[in-house]
Amino acid sequence: MSMMPQTPENGTDVPFLSVRGITKSFGPIEVLHGVDLDLAAGTVTALLGENGAGKSTFVRIIAGDHTHDSGQIIIDRQPLAIRSVTQARDAGIRLIAQELADAPTLTVAENISLGELPARFGLVSRGEMKRRARQALEDLGADIPLDARVSSLRLGERQIIEIARASIGAARCMIFDEPTAALSDAETRRLFDLIARMKAKGTAILYITHRLDEVFEIADRVCVLRDGRVSLNADPATVTQPEVVTAMVGHAVESNRDAYRYDRADEKPMLAARGFSGRGFSDVDLTVAAGEIVGLYGKIGSGVPEFAASLFGAGNRQGGTLEINGKTENFRHPAEAIAAGVGFLPAERKSEGLLGPRSSAENLAAPSWGRLSRIGAIFRNDETRAFSRWHDPLKIRSSRDGGEMITTLSGGNQQKVLIGRWLESGAKLLLLVEPTRGVDVGAREEIYHVLRELARSGHGILIASSDYEDITQVATRALVMVRGRIVRALPQEEISVARLTEVAGGGTDEQ
Amino acid sequence: MNNKTAAAVLKGDARKSGRVRVPESAALLFFLALEIVFFTFNSPYFLTWPNWVNIFTAMSITGILAAGGTILLIGGQFDLSVGSGMAFVALMFALAAQAFGIAPAVFVALLTGLGIGCLNGFLVTVVGVNALITTLGTLAIFRGLTLSIGGASSVRVNGFDWAIMRPLFDIPLSAALFVVIAVIVGCLLAFSVFGRTIYAIGANDTAARLVGIRTRTTLFIAFLGSGLCMALTGLVSASQLGSTSGTTGMGLELAVVTAIILGGTTLKGGVGSMFGTVIGLLIVGVLNNGMTLMNINSTWQQVAAGALLIMAVSFDQLRQRFLGR
Repeated sequence: MSMMPQTPENGTDVPFLSVRGITKSFGPIEVLHGVDLDLAAGTVTALLGENGAGKSTFVRIIAGDHTHDSGQIIIDRQPLAIRSVTQARDAGIRLIAQELADAPTLTVAENISLGELPARFGLVSRGEMKRRARQALEDLGADIPLDARVSSLRLGERQIIEIARASIGAARCMIFDEPTAALSDAETRRLFDLIARMKAKGTAILYITHRLDEVFEIADRVCVLRDGRVSLNADPATVTQPEVVTAMVGHAVESNRDAYRYDRADEKPMLAARGFSGRGFSDVDLTVAAGEIVGLYGKIGSGVPEFAASLFGAGNRQGGTLEINGKTENFRHPAEAIAAGVGFLPAERKSEGLLGPRSSAENLAAPSWGRLSRIGAIFRNDETRAFSRWHDPLKIRSSRDGGEMITTLSGGNQQKVLIGRWLESGAKLLLLVEPTRGVDVGAREEIYHVLRELARSGHGILIASSDYEDITQVATRALVMVRGRIVRALPQEEISVARLTEVAGGGTDEQ
Repeated sequence: MNNKTAAAVLKGDARKSGRVRVPESAALLFFLALEIVFFTFNSPYFLTWPNWVNIFTAMSITGILAAGGTILLIGGQFDLSVGSGMAFVALMFALAAQAFGIAPAVFVALLTGLGIGCLNGFLVTVVGVNALITTLGTLAIFRGLTLSIGGASSVRVNGFDWAIMRPLFDIPLSAALFVVIAVIVGCLLAFSVFGRTIYAIGANDTAARLVGIRTRTTLFIAFLGSGLCMALTGLVSASQLGSTSGTTGMGLELAVVTAIILGGTTLKGGVGSMFGTVIGLLIVGVLNNGMTLMNINSTWQQVAAGALLIMAVSFDQLRQRFLGR
């Protein structure tokens, strides 16, 4: 079931933390079927896996957030039944969760000391608190004012504060759950420096990610979870990227090159934005023609999602003109954009896209309710029919009638439903922000395929993304945005990971 | 009570799998059935037509207000001003009836109710004040206005007794009005685009806006609906009592919210139904009626209603914790 390393390659012979045969069920569903893993002091172990493979559940068990059903956790040769977060903390285990767990109304310094406020006679020593916080941030090379309220910060900065909090004190095992998703390149570099320093101090590090380049850069060991089991546990020097991907998805992913090219330069644009300015972006010009997939690439904080939202009438816009199919438009509400045949996939699926407690069919039909109804009346059947129209073409893995709650679907399938939403509404122009965020490898390829097919059938597509893979895979033209301005346009031949990251000012992300 | 836990657990299970279509309100129906069986054995009068007409008549005012409240709570909003709003409508109606006669007074009553809904809606959707705080404020304002304009004594209403007429099957018109409104609101929520948008807004208002729903307008209409319900209940109350006073409808907001939440609409919004609310109303209504028949002091009925509300919400929380993620 799992291949165990006989001896960790650096560090001591006895790992700091070993887990053996961990199982965990939620209700009737077993999500972990006996996971074995060793974390040696002074090493970095990368943990990979598709969404739903059990990564987060596994680390939350180690961190005491969930309790396991059976199996053993051994710390320093002593079996320890971790039953609470406090117990795990006392054993020196720190988890930096994927989802922010900060206190937005408190200040940066207070957040960094959260849980361990320096106190004397029950009174908080603010000076000591600030000193500690300053030190922790300096170690991360971050310049964030200590008195700022956390709610006023960017997502990446909040992530850094979480890391700073976990780095305080004597952590013997640090678990990072996809820490770089919200970080800029420079921030990522500093995080890697911090990880290297922690490693030198003998901390055992478990690093969850979905970015293979990061694995090969920092990990001493790569471990892949698939369907609740360890499917690969190896030294990164001995495996290749395709082998790791195969271990993640269970079959080889054919690197899909049903290349789509767009070469009708004379086409009139479906969308033409000129001099767009707003909060986070300024003076942006952009056109999208029918059959074209325009990739707008920008790191977190570059203003890309804000700009895309403003095209849809959902964000704020202070200046600029917008033409849709040659007609000047000034959308003040998304309803007006939808009426003009525009569809919009927001960046944050859960908080902006999904109607959480409602069914998949209802989620898909939402923008089309008016059209599907007869004199204001709409029945479940109308929605079911709409859903089954897109069930097969989009390869949505759900029941055929879409009757289950949308939150029971996996991230990739949720995203397909949200794309299907706009196909059902008849939108010809699709503005997709982070279309593959939180989508696993297999579903990602399927979404790319769908987008190429849509472009072939005459849809105009804008992909606004901070994930270079979205751009390199499907875009027929790319624009790179840095600090709210478009700095470079790249024709299809010039789109590559190296080029994108170089232009975005991040140095090379690749090895 | 243990039976209800088990049933509530089953209910959640069915909803999650989505395959087995057990009605979401199965647990509540089961609980209601338990009550009915219990009281049938304890009172020979309980299971008779006149008694059930009584049960529905007793809950007609709460029920009409709960219909408007269900729409709002599914949309993630709240209206606590219904009790004092109703009292204010009844007072305006009574004063207008004395001055201009019944027909213009009905018009005044409708305008007053819609005006209160309009004020709540404006404050919540345009100004952006939290609905709980807005309606707590208007609750106090309209209770205070009713007391200061109406004075300490009650104001008589003559020649306005439609609500207690029983033209068909011995059912008073107030109960019939409640049933009609419940059916209308039930259909509106289940089979209309307006209903769908309300559920969508309660589920996630940002997402709702991004699929083109005019969220503020829709919520404003829902507040107007609640105001209309206040107007209707004001008329029912004035007609039933033949008078109105400063204490009319005191504490009604609690009864309304209890019924809605018992009926499975969550405080977060996005789920619930009018059918559930009717079951919630019946659970409270049958309990009160049965306890009265068994000669249990009415003060204890309040204790029972409060305890029921907390239990219902606790069960819901436990169910979500054990089954949901």
